[in-house]
Amino acid sequence: MILATLLGSPLTPLEDVLRHVLEWLHGTAGLPWAWSIVALTVIVRLLMVPLAVKQIHSMQAMQAHMPEMKAIQQRYKNDKQKRNEELMKFYRDNNVNPAAPCLPLLFQFPVFIALYLVLRHFSKHPPGGKLAVHRGDFSWFGHHFVPDITQHANAHWSGYLLLVIYVGSQLASTYFMSTTMDRTQRTLMMILPVAFVPVLVNFPTGLVVYWVTTNLWTVGQGLVTRSLVPKKPPPAPKRSSRTPARKEPDSGDGAERKAEAQQPSPAPSQPRRVKRKKKRARR
Amino acid sequence: MPRLPSYLGIGLVYLYRYTIGVLFPAGCKYHPSCSQYAIDAVRRYGLARGTVLAGWRLLRCNPWSRGGVDYVEQQRLFR
Repeated sequence: MILATLLGSPLTPLEDVLRHVLEWLHGTAGLPWAWSIVALTVIVRLLMVPLAVKQIHSMQAMQAHMPEMKAIQQRYKNDKQKRNEELMKFYRDNNVNPAAPCLPLLFQFPVFIALYLVLRHFSKHPPGGKLAVHRGDFSWFGHHFVPDITQHANAHWSGYLLLVIYVGSQLASTYFMSTTMDRTQRTLMMILPVAFVPVLVNFPTGLVVYWVTTNLWTVGQGLVTRSLVPKKPPPAPKRSSRTPARKEPDSGDGAERKAEAQQPSPAPSQPRRVKRKKKRARR
Repeated sequence: MPRLPSYLGIGLVYLYRYTIGVLFPAGCKYHPSCSQYAIDAVRRYGLARGTVLAGWRLLRCNPWSRGGVDYVEQQRLFR
């Protein structure tokens, strides 16, 4: 709370903007407060769609460079540092990049904190006063589901239901956003949304609404991205997997499997894991 | 040799990495990643200048940049 207040002071302009947009959505557009939050979330994400489009273009462009990238990965497969370096150089030279830039991700934090401040202000000074609260102006799906979005999530059973939905949506969205991920990261990503619940319980329910909405948007965007970027570029991987096979007298796929089995024995599962990672990155 | 304030800054980056950072496992278009760059910068140049360098890197890590290999040693802000 103190941290949020400290971070909040430079965020006052953003807070004002968000409050005005919310008030416009509620007052002029006539949406209930809860749906205004959903609409606000959609607006924030719509503003970020051009970034996603750029990302999709970059991923599509990368399909064409798959063989070269595989060659680099193969060449430096034992040296993670060097491999990343060479891949980055390659991306830069070809003006493609599968990874998202950090800045737009960070942009979501100020929005989140500002929205937190707006809702906290609402819970202390509800627009329309106590009467509006009693009338159910701050409810979502009526009095019985979410009675007051400015209250903490643990004020009503529906808050817990929302938190369960949040955990699910968070897991789904991180699944879609991940391009490269090692095992520890994947485990952490599974645990963290659950670990966040005790913290989120003390947040205004409206914030959980925002979080769930933005996660669902991420999932939707991920599905669109997947359909636009083909999972397998048809000719590329075949060629690169046949190259080692030529050294073997065996034919075709059997040789490839053998070559895989012959790779350094201390970590036999490693090459396979690398392969899985690549698949994910391609999506 | 990093001093106490630097350790604080590095600790904050690690805190970010293992909490909120995990929600965005999208990686970074630069190598090393922005958070690793921040740690390296603070370690090498101290908390104040390291933070400036890390902030500058974050601003460069935008959709219009090309990314690529970018180590702290290559910076030209502080000599």
